Amino acid sequence: MAAKWIEALTGSLEQKKQFKQYKARIEGLPEPYASAAKAFERYFMYYGGVTDGDTLVRMFGDFADLWERAAVDGTPVAAIVGDDPVEFAETFTQAYGGTRWIDKERARLTKAIEAATGHDGKETKA
Amino acid sequence: MGKQTTEMLKGTLEGIVLAILAVRPAYGYEITARLREQGFSDIVEGTVYALLIRIEQRGLVDVEKVPSEKGPPRKVYSLNGLGREYLEEFWRTWNFLVERIERLHHNIEHLQEEGA
Repeated sequence: MAAKWIEALTGSLEQKKQFKQYKARIEGLPEPYASAAKAFERYFMYYGGVTDGDTLVRMFGDFADLWERAAVDGTPVAAIVGDDPVEFAETFTQAYGGTRWIDKERARLTKAIEAATGHDGKETKA
Repeated sequence: MGKQTTEMLKGTLEGIVLAILAVRPAYGYEITARLREQGFSDIVEGTVYALLIRIEQRGLVDVEKVPSEKGPPRKVYSLNGLGREYLEEFWRTWNFLVERIERLHHNIEHLQEEGA
């Protein structure tokens, strides 16, 4: 799935440029913020599944904003991510309503159930 | 706050944050601080940040970038028309829930008293 993300990111030159800028911003963070941000970034690649480049660029931009702000304010990493970094990562990515790979399967499931039960919702008995 | 509080808050935090923004516009840190003042002591900044992004994506708030002395500009969130509508619906839903749950609680206590 990671490869698809990269493809989505390399979709346009402008997006590629923006992604590079994002990378530079993360590199520029002091520790432990840089390490924390990179760990989340890795998780996003696996979990996020957002497939359109614009959404990704927006998401990473906001993500960089968050860590830069935290670094300047001296907010501890724990005060950002709480007890459960996984939960934070998932809530964060879910805020971005771009197209996800799972959307296709969701539509397929809905259609299959409709076909199985009849479109009017009334089940036909065999 | 216990696990149950956290789970219950999940569904209502959006409304709570919109209610805070209805008083006056604020940026992320201020909102977290105000939540803490109100007794939501375990709320972390990241949760509020993710929530603000979500309500921004859904068009419930307007965002203005305000320069800060140090670091990137702060995003100041204010409730817009759509957000106000959403908040009204939130209060209606909240009142409905409170009423039903209170009634259920009352009925159960009543039954227990009769049974005793």
